[in-house]
Amino acid sequence: MSGDNRFLGLFYLSPFIIGLLVFTALPFLASLYLSFTNYNLMNEPVFTGLQNYIRLFTNDRTFRKSLWVTLIYVFTTVPLKLVFALFMAVILNYKLKFINVFRTAYYVPSILGGSIAIAVLWRYIFADVGLVNMGLTMLGFEPVNWFGDPTNALFTITLLRLWQFGSAMVIFLAALQSIDKTLYEAASIDGAGKWTSFVYITLPLITPVIFFNLIMQMVQAFQEFNGPYIITQGGPLKSTYLLPIYIYDEAFKRFDMGYASAIAWVLFLIIMALTLIAFWSSRHWVYYAGDKRS
Amino acid sequence: MRTMFMTAALFAATSLSTAFASDLRMSWWGSDDRHVATQQALKVCGTKFGHTIAPEFTGFQGHQEKIATQLAGRTEADIMQVNWPWLPLFTKNGDGFADLNQYKDIIDLTQWSKSDLDSGSVKGKLNGISVSTTGRVFMFNKTTYDKAGIPIPKTWEELIAAAPKMKEKLGKEYFPFEGAALDARLMVILRTTQKTGKDLIDPATNKVAWSEAELAEGLEFYKTLVDKGVIESWKQVAAGGNTPLHENQKWAKGQIAGTYQWDSTYGKIATPMEKGQELVPVKLLTIEGAKTDGVYRKPSMLFSISRNSKDPKGAAQVLNCLLNDPEAVKIMGATRGIPSSKVALDTLTKEGKIKPVQLEAYKRVMEPTSPGVSPLNEHPRVTEVFDTNFEAFAYGQQSSKEAATEIIAGINQALTGI
Repeated sequence: MSGDNRFLGLFYLSPFIIGLLVFTALPFLASLYLSFTNYNLMNEPVFTGLQNYIRLFTNDRTFRKSLWVTLIYVFTTVPLKLVFALFMAVILNYKLKFINVFRTAYYVPSILGGSIAIAVLWRYIFADVGLVNMGLTMLGFEPVNWFGDPTNALFTITLLRLWQFGSAMVIFLAALQSIDKTLYEAASIDGAGKWTSFVYITLPLITPVIFFNLIMQMVQAFQEFNGPYIITQGGPLKSTYLLPIYIYDEAFKRFDMGYASAIAWVLFLIIMALTLIAFWSSRHWVYYAGDKRS
Repeated sequence: MRTMFMTAALFAATSLSTAFASDLRMSWWGSDDRHVATQQALKVCGTKFGHTIAPEFTGFQGHQEKIATQLAGRTEADIMQVNWPWLPLFTKNGDGFADLNQYKDIIDLTQWSKSDLDSGSVKGKLNGISVSTTGRVFMFNKTTYDKAGIPIPKTWEELIAAAPKMKEKLGKEYFPFEGAALDARLMVILRTTQKTGKDLIDPATNKVAWSEAELAEGLEFYKTLVDKGVIESWKQVAAGGNTPLHENQKWAKGQIAGTYQWDSTYGKIATPMEKGQELVPVKLLTIEGAKTDGVYRKPSMLFSISRNSKDPKGAAQVLNCLLNDPEAVKIMGATRGIPSSKVALDTLTKEGKIKPVQLEAYKRVMEPTSPGVSPLNEHPRVTEVFDTNFEAFAYGQQSSKEAATEIIAGINQALTGI
């Protein structure tokens, strides 16, 4: 590479690199430092060692409750969303009339789903006198207390996330379309039915994509904020009080930035640990092209 | 020579005006009418002093977070509208904002009462000047009460007695009153203050002034209101999506016929009511043997000047203009409630800029007695402890005694060192 062009690539990349350093790397490291301090925004941070972490694990019922709710939320939404997205992708992989219209229509909620407007809409749809209860009443069922009952509130929030299955679905769809059709023909000649073909051909061949979606969806689910914050504000009885809401409240409502940073780091480590477990387990169930395993 | 003199004079005049002209910023929260009025008033005040003032306005939601972030980054506006309970958060020692006493030659502080000035002072430093005073008042839907043939209640007992009559006459979906979350908390605080004659927090000790038994009784009173059908249960309110009153269909239809709200919200909650419904502010409900009326009265908001302002004197000129200059005051009207400044109140009264119903609500706030309200009542750690345990009690997960014990211990712990 000539001297003139040596730094050209770096120059083109510099907006991204600068953005990454200033808006991601620096706050990331700053939050680690702040997690060991008492910092209320108005005064300089005061180093307090492990005090925030000790308080978190020994004297904070809200954290324990919030962590439990977050884990339930993640372990419910991620598998359900993956199964549903794959199910829809399989259906939309058939050659049907107007299939592109259907594909677009099913993808739309993913674009809108995370928005404030949809969260507000959700609040009205599932309100005591909302559309869902009106429908249930018309069908002869008792109306359900979706937001007021702690056992239902998390489920209602979960539904909002499931509704945004489009992005995972599109990735599954692309994977399904890349499978060599001759494999299905060969299986069919050998007498395999559709279900057998799906289990023994489709699923193994798309395991890399399942793995990718699993990681992405898990990370996103751990960071869910908009839906529960707008719809239930974490209630009732903190039944939808996910850790990101707790972090936000500690940081911007109670101005305990040090403590909020400590919670954020615990959340980060949990995500990191689960991701590493997923990577470790992937050796046993994810198959790549050229894989020698039988 | 004459030309030289004229040129010199012109140069001097230009230099003089540019020396005092500043680019300032002012931030506030509010609704559309406040945004429009404040921007117009800023233009007037800016022209008077040669300043350019950039407006920064939002709704209340998220404004505290915005101000906190700006203060931390020292990028806050020169003039800020600040919520009174934020003082202990942002200016613990009185150093969070500029001391307005330093600019008393610019700001006419004689227009405020001593108590107004005291309420904006932290450790002797005037960190904010009271824009208006607000308080919680009872407001009832007169139309619904008339339909049910019930007089508007004057005591808590009459309110409780209204529930069965209203339901019998109009249907079980009717409630003579409402209260959950913040409204319920302030209702319990009012009732307990009336009974004990003390505010929640003792300003002398920064600890809860009530005994467990006194607070437990207040919590039990809330339960009585739910059990007797006076208010919807906390669970039922949550079922509606915790919608604010002015967005609540039951309120708009008159099925919820009473509330305990800030007087300044009259317009906001009266507007969505269906046509023909009349909302009236009334005196605080009383209780036999009450030691005080217990009114929850406080500065609704303050105007503060940034300690980092490059031109605090210019900011003080604008602040004084907005609050004391008749021309600006007329433009601002009552968009921030009834003004605390005497000259502003006189101006608006003479001009007929205050609606009679606003004045009525204001009277309901200013007349009753009160032991005083601590800004720490609304400290986020205090409200978190109170609301968490109160909600657990409302959902039947704690007894009133357990909730009271937890609330008092939690608040006392939270306030240690504040």
